[in-house]
Order: sequence, then structure tokens, then C-alpha cells
Amino acid sequence: MKRRSFLKGTLATGAAAVAVNAGLLTPSTVLAEWNKTAFNTKDASGALKAAYGMDNATASSDIDLGAPAIAENGAVTPIKVDATKMAGVESIAILASKNPFPLVCEYSFSGPALGYVSTRIKMGETQNVMAIVKAGGKLYKAEQEVKVTIGGCGG
Amino acid sequence: MSIKIRMRGKVKGDVAEVKALIKHKMESGARMNKKTGKPYPAEFIDVVEVSINGTKAVDAQWSGAVSANPYMGIMVKAAKGDEVTLNLTDNTGATGSKSIKLR
Repeated sequence: MKRRSFLKGTLATGAAAVAVNAGLLTPSTVLAEWNKTAFNTKDASGALKAAYGMDNATASSDIDLGAPAIAENGAVTPIKVDATKMAGVESIAILASKNPFPLVCEYSFSGPALGYVSTRIKMGETQNVMAIVKAGGKLYKAEQEVKVTIGGCGG
Repeated sequence: MSIKIRMRGKVKGDVAEVKALIKHKMESGARMNKKTGKPYPAEFIDVVEVSINGTKAVDAQWSGAVSANPYMGIMVKAAKGDEVTLNLTDNTGATGSKSIKLR
């Protein structure tokens, strides 16, 4: 697995871009840097600050957060965030407040993309799922409680 | 090690919904191996990028809290025949790429 160690060693230094140009690496693009600080923060507001530089989100009814009221399997919780009603959506983040690291995923949109995301996330226990939408430089949120009943009977 | 991706996109009007299923174990690094008492090493997809006809549309960052074999659905303004490309990489450096034409 020479290529893997090669990638690891060079990606951070930016030498990977040169390598791609030289045709040494097969993938066509070098992807964006992962926001390590935001994903390793243990509280929701801290994670928001790290990701967006602010944590004062206003509740908005224009965000359609689709989450099950009861998740039978916390490891696969389907989540849908539909903010197509809002104008100028720049980014959507999904947070699970009681997970060890609340920030689950963050999508930023540009060009032809609409403010819509559906995905599946892992949840350790019953908690609120928060959808954060950044539109026009401001943060908006929608929250919903999801009950996780691992091996339970849906109570 | 290239990561397996299945992707589909369908145009309705001027909007296309693109759905992707990725084969990946998404190990968060927190799960313990009960036999050895050590955590399984983290191995999850961290950066995903989708572009339409070469224009970047979605740039996603994931943590280990995205489910195993992740599903991703997004919507883009596009027409039939447009080319959708998805590139991703995980925290160990493995990459995956897939291109489809919208139907």
C-alpha cells in the first residue's frame, strides 16, 4: 500500500497538487481540507463557532427537518434537511447534541446546488437533532427530538 | 483502495435529485474492540465534493457519525445529459470517484 502512505505524507504539505499535475495520483482533484477543530469539539455551540464563526442561530419555520420521531436503530437515522424555501442558502450542518462530537456533517453549496440534503446519521441516545442553515450570512436552525430505542419496544 | 460508489440522478423540470450510496464502514474511532480493550482505528469519509459539468456544487465534510455505507441525497439545478461527478476521500487517504450523466 505504497500509494496510501504517499498520499498521507504529501497531502498536508500541498505537494500533492504537484503530484497530481505530474500524473502520479489517479484522482482528478485534490479535495478541500477537513475542518478538524469543528468536528473535534465536544459541545454544539463550540462546534458551530468553529465551523461558522458564530453560534447564534434563529429558529426558522422555513427549514423542513425530516427526522423520525422514533429511530429503531440509532446507527442509521435518516435525516432530511430541506431549505429550498429559503433564499441564498450557503451551507447546511447537521448536529446531534448529545453525541460525543455533536457536529455530524456540514455541506456547503455553490453554483447549481439547492439547499437540500438527505443523509443517514448515527445517534447514541435519545436527543435533539439540529439542522443549521446558513443563508445570507446568518444562521437559522430547526430542531427535532428523535427517540432512539435500541433493542427496546418503541416507548 | 478505491471506494465503491453507486450514484443516480433524475431530472424533474429544471431540478435534479442526485442520490449516492457509498460502500464504506465509517468507523468513528470511538467503538471499542471488546477483546483487546482498544478502540477500532478511525476510518471514515471526511470530504465529499459534487460538481456538475465541472462546476463545483456541493462540498461536504463528514465526521464518523455519518452511518456506515452512507447515503447522500442532494438537489441541483441541471438538465438532462449534464455530467455529475462525485469525488471523495477518507481520513486514511483512500479515495473514490464516480461520474454519471443525468437522465
